Amino acid sequence: MLTGERWYERCRRSLVGGGVCLMLLASCAAPAPPPSPVPKRSTFLLIPDPEGKVGHITVTNRTGTQVVDQHHQASTVQSADHAPSPPSTLEETEIKRIFGETLAAQPAAPARFILYFKDDSEELTPDSEVLLAEVFRTIRDRGAIDVSVIGHTDTIGTRDYNYQLSLRRARKVADLLVLQGVDRNILDIESHGEDNLLVKTRDQVREPRNRRVEITVW
Amino acid sequence: MRALPVMAVAMVLVLVLLGAIAGASSPIGLVKVTEGIATVQRGDETLPARLGLSLQEGDVLRTGADGRMGVVLRDDTRLSLGPESEIQIDHFVFAPAKGRLGLVVKMARGVMAFVSGKIAKLSHDAVRVETPVAIVGVRGTHFLVKVETQ
Repeated sequence: MLTGERWYERCRRSLVGGGVCLMLLASCAAPAPPPSPVPKRSTFLLIPDPEGKVGHITVTNRTGTQVVDQHHQASTVQSADHAPSPPSTLEETEIKRIFGETLAAQPAAPARFILYFKDDSEELTPDSEVLLAEVFRTIRDRGAIDVSVIGHTDTIGTRDYNYQLSLRRARKVADLLVLQGVDRNILDIESHGEDNLLVKTRDQVREPRNRRVEITVW
Repeated sequence: MRALPVMAVAMVLVLVLLGAIAGASSPIGLVKVTEGIATVQRGDETLPARLGLSLQEGDVLRTGADGRMGVVLRDDTRLSLGPESEIQIDHFVFAPAKGRLGLVVKMARGVMAFVSGKIAKLSHDAVRVETPVAIVGVRGTHFLVKVETQ
């Protein structure tokens, strides 16, 4: 579409007499106002988190700010020049209508496990052997596509030795999972040795809680 | 003995280079749910949002009319998009040991569900969602955003 100015230019240059030009000019005299910015009206709605807790959000722009701290309450902002509205309750049916599809696409939170080992060994403690079965079930039930397996040690021994020990621990756990049917390609094995202690200690300290493999099922 | 400072400088250089390489490609999360048309734009490249695709800082996530997408970030933040939606993960830093935490999501249009993760738990003002008309500060929360285009 031609803007008013371009019409005017055409008109001025045209050989058609001034009368037509004037007529057109009259319609050009009040050019359309510049397109107003797209409103981008935004609605911000608070709902309980998966543990049932309700946090809070603060909605702010240059004209004001609103805190939303009750579940199923929303603040709406009409434009950058309008202050956020005070929170008001949105009906359940309305929430489902607007956000239902999006909520259904929400992924599960990653599941995390810690398996513990015997001193200077890649052998699992009895409790952790039991837990390993649950790790396997979680991977299977979720159809997990990425599992991180990170080995750790306490600070007894040299750093190099501990890097190798924690690598053996991580590989052992990976082997056990593969044995149960987990695809090796989804396992991401790392060794942190004694560099990432769960319980901070000095060097050369026996600490069972540091002898571990951490597993994250994404 | 004169070799020592040279060695030290060389080692620092190597570490800096390694850091740069790691920083350039380190994944900040991954795609966990995808349906219909869903893409991830990284620079000039547009990738289909397949399951397990790693995300990087700066990625733009888009869905088409029938599209949906769900992603998990490294700090356990979970985001999902409904149809006709677009967000950018503008900033993501999760280094709690160094006290460096931050997440900024810019939302251009559509519908998003947001479950905050560890960054919001550890730091009060570190998580922000920006739409064209307002900015949301997030405190340990599940919330929903709709940005209309008309």
